[in-house]
Amino acid sequence: MRHEALDKVLREMPIPVPADAERRGLAVAEAAYAERRGRERGGPESYRPSLPRLTVALSIATLMAALLLSPAGAAVRDWVGEVVESPTPRPEHELAEIPGGGRLLVQSAAGPWVVQPDGARRLLGNYEEATWSPRGLFVAVAAGRTLSAVEPDGDPRWSITAAARVSDPRWAPSGERIAYRSGSELRVIAGDGTEDRLLTRSATAAAPAWSPHGGTDLAYVSRSGMLRIADSDGAGEFPIGLAGSSVTEIEWGGGGSTILASSRGALRLQEVQPSKLGARPRVGPRRELPLPPGATVVGAALAPETSAVAAVLTHWREHGTRSSVVVFGPGGNKPRRLLSVPGSLGQIAWSPDGRRLLVAWPFADQWLFLPLGRGQGRAVADISTAFAPGKRGASFPRVEGWCCRR
Amino acid sequence: MEVESGAVERTAGPSVGAPPSRKRERQLVREAQAGSGAAMAQLYSTHWRSAYRAAYLVVHDAAAAEDIAQDGFLAAVDALDRFDRRRPFAPWLHRIVVNRALDWARREALRRKVSRPESVFEPLPPPAEIGGEMMEALKELPAEQRAVVVLRHLLEYTPGEIAAMLDLPRGTVNSRLRRGLDRLRAVAQAEVEMETGQ
Repeated sequence: MRHEALDKVLREMPIPVPADAERRGLAVAEAAYAERRGRERGGPESYRPSLPRLTVALSIATLMAALLLSPAGAAVRDWVGEVVESPTPRPEHELAEIPGGGRLLVQSAAGPWVVQPDGARRLLGNYEEATWSPRGLFVAVAAGRTLSAVEPDGDPRWSITAAARVSDPRWAPSGERIAYRSGSELRVIAGDGTEDRLLTRSATAAAPAWSPHGGTDLAYVSRSGMLRIADSDGAGEFPIGLAGSSVTEIEWGGGGSTILASSRGALRLQEVQPSKLGARPRVGPRRELPLPPGATVVGAALAPETSAVAAVLTHWREHGTRSSVVVFGPGGNKPRRLLSVPGSLGQIAWSPDGRRLLVAWPFADQWLFLPLGRGQGRAVADISTAFAPGKRGASFPRVEGWCCRR
Repeated sequence: MEVESGAVERTAGPSVGAPPSRKRERQLVREAQAGSGAAMAQLYSTHWRSAYRAAYLVVHDAAAAEDIAQDGFLAAVDALDRFDRRRPFAPWLHRIVVNRALDWARREALRRKVSRPESVFEPLPPPAEIGGEMMEALKELPAEQRAVVVLRHLLEYTPGEIAAMLDLPRGTVNSRLRRGLDRLRAVAQAEVEMETGQ
């Protein structure tokens, strides 16, 4: 074989290049570079301790290591910026009201339930997943290859059958579109069940997240681990930063300027400047929230209007697992710890007004409603049986949404 | 989606000019390590197209290739301080890019094996321009052979360098290269004959 011929073909054969790919990549690389330089300027690498200081620092480090390795070190390892936790509240045995108001959408083995502010519950039907419309007028539900919209009393409005199993429906804040996954495809359909279209085939299993501004931008993680924003009307898409292929969840909040990418080992915040006049958002710096060594992220959620992040962390210990609920303020550095309990906690969700957190505690079969400010938390027990009447040993249900912000 | 050819790569715009000399590149890396954003941007502009092209020829997916090239540069930015300036920049970047492309292609192959979703959308037809058939033939090769062919015949690394980049024995590189070339031989010959009118 004439190798020159192959070289020539490989070098010159036309290949598709996404429009503006090079420029987009440069913007991301420049943002990462600027962030790194900023970190170095303010970070410990630029600090050159003198010998006496170094000796003192080493002594302190030795002392800290001894503390951390001792049984009492558990408390030191648990250290966070501020501990404001109160004792775990005494559980009520019935959900007589939702603390702070609003309505909950809860997925149980039997299907999704709508929980009214007074605690009244209604099972919507035999669906596998559900999501609120932005004002809670409808619920998008999925079962097998079917995506449907139903009213909160369960009355169906429309239904479509997709080519593959439907999952992760997400209703856009404008109400005009629903994103969902069908097999390995990420698709978008109009809120009235028409105009179903393919957005990409290269999304990971993490559910997509709509821009809270009510536009057409949708964030998703590609299979190569890149966080991307796509225009759901097909006007283009671009990468905004590396999220990692292990991302389990993304959320777009902080007034539209922050995307949270959660994985078991990290919480990353990517700043994006909202688009104006239809232009694509500008990409800002990315930062990683500090987690205690050895902590695993079980769940995390962005506050409705700020870039505060609430997270459930689990720590493995010799004497058993412990879990804690922490809140990183919009500055993101030292978190406040609201709660620490033995065993495993589950998912976490913000109330629509951002003043409370709902934390699932499957280990104790409870929901915990924790206030962010002053005030007593509340606990509700027997959650599994509340959403599986007449069944013993039912699985713990999942909160799909706490409605609504407006 | 634009279609780019190698000819465009070699002639269009300041970002695709001749690569800088080794001396100039060392200087750019030194400046970037010292905090010069302009030097970092120039390194990016010099190497983006080769990184993208290499990634694309391994994964055959434009969005994934963009992500992989992007990822390569982010990794480079992250590790800039640890980079040994006595070494050339391109092999370092290409090593990251081709390994990530290979990882992606393997994951994709596995995913296709596990579930081949139905779709109402037809796949795009292959490009009809020169290279179309070669592209299809290259796509048919196993990802491991594609990566070796791309490193050898697009990026012009020696089998020894490729072995180091992919962390493989040199004999494995040679055998993958030979098998890949055997399968591409006929197509490449036909392409050249078509182009030259022979």
